[in-house]
Amino acid sequence: MKRLLDILLGRAARPVPARHEGLIAIGTAAVTMEAQLGLKPEPVAGLVFKPVESVYFERAKEELDGLLQIAVRETESRYRFWSDPYRYRWVIVEDPDFEDLVATLHSASQILIEHGFGSQLLAAVFRFSDRTGEPFYWIYQFKLGKFTPFAPRKGRTRDEAQELRLVALLERELPVERRPEHWYALWDLPF
Amino acid sequence: MYSVRRVEQWARDPGLTARMLLVLFGLSFLYVFFVGTLIWSGVDAVTVLVIALVLAMVQIFLAEPLALASVGARILKPGELPWLQEMVERTAALAGVPRVRVGIAETRVPNAFAMGKSLRSATVVVTRGLLDLLNKEELEAVIAHEIAHIRNRDVLVMTIAGFFVVVAQLVFRFLLWGGGGRSQRDRRGGIAVVFLVSLLVWLIGQLLLLALSRYREFVADRMAGILTGRPLALASALLKISGQVERIPEKDLREVQEMAAFFIVPPLRRESLMALFSTHPPVQERIRRLEALQRQLEGLA
Repeated sequence: MKRLLDILLGRAARPVPARHEGLIAIGTAAVTMEAQLGLKPEPVAGLVFKPVESVYFERAKEELDGLLQIAVRETESRYRFWSDPYRYRWVIVEDPDFEDLVATLHSASQILIEHGFGSQLLAAVFRFSDRTGEPFYWIYQFKLGKFTPFAPRKGRTRDEAQELRLVALLERELPVERRPEHWYALWDLPF
Repeated sequence: MYSVRRVEQWARDPGLTARMLLVLFGLSFLYVFFVGTLIWSGVDAVTVLVIALVLAMVQIFLAEPLALASVGARILKPGELPWLQEMVERTAALAGVPRVRVGIAETRVPNAFAMGKSLRSATVVVTRGLLDLLNKEELEAVIAHEIAHIRNRDVLVMTIAGFFVVVAQLVFRFLLWGGGGRSQRDRRGGIAVVFLVSLLVWLIGQLLLLALSRYREFVADRMAGILTGRPLALASALLKISGQVERIPEKDLREVQEMAAFFIVPPLRRESLMALFSTHPPVQERIRRLEALQRQLEGLA
């Protein structure tokens, strides 16, 4: 009933709040992926969001920067900001400890959410490599609160079989999105 | 954990919501009045409504292929204009919408429209002219505007809200051409009353529908401004598109006339028409609202 009213009054297009609680699960899933599937987690991950031209957003970004600087001091991590051609901002964090990497990205997303910009969070991206070095990414989509697979290959093609396989194999350990229409690509990733 | 509901606040526009509610009340009242008159007059109201319902269903289910065909649009193949497809994908993902198809119409008229009765079968169509005219930021803003239309189910809402206007129009035209016969049932002069009432419902209903359509444009503008984080990118896109549309001869535009309701800027010259008769609000008014949103984002409102 509320949904119907929202549609009638044009409120259905309002910003979708972010759900970041599912993000943590990648830590344990990574162990399984490495031990049983031979997919090695890379020590680098990214958080991508759409910036807003707003003083409030600048404040959120300053706090984000502060948090990352503390994280760098406490662990052996490094971070950098990057803008992609679609004007999305990335925080790219490098950390040899995968658990720390996940925790850093989780608290980074937390800061944007606390400042009221959760709806601007697009995804957190984690890279895995198989024995031949081919990449496989788990993309955590904040709007869904779920992970979607992405196995890019040469010439902007995707290895769909690999994606289906990993969704099936990790269903129990990871909140995965089973509906393939949500499996968006993120081409030309910087890591 | 405490968190500010900042973006949610920006998304709110109580004045607009109230006006939309008012229009919807007005339409409902009008429709009850219309159906009441139909039943009272002894016209075979059930038959009329069933025919109209079938028409509405056909419209809802065929709208997409018909709309695509009427503007000469086609769906992009995978790998075609990859940056455009990715831009739409990302905007959709940011808005929490599943796969949106991207179509292109090979026309010089810069415009865009959204189609699809549900979130699952949504299509955003842009014209070649739009791709040539706008920079990527402006294009993204236009796409976000169309995705807001999709999320608000605007095509579906307008079709359903307009259902009885279509019925009234059908009844009026039918009676105008001498339909209805001088049957035995018409003892109370019912036909004449129905004739006048359907004309009234058609005209007033049409005005209310146009108002509803304009309000929903404002909503889509606002959502696009928030989603892309840059309301004035949409403002500059609107300026460019409207300027261009006015410069293009009308002859080329006639074929796209029927699609006007779904376009981002209606492709017709409307300077001479009153704003009351327009599906889209004037560009100046839309830009003024986007500027107000930008001030709000900067904490100056």
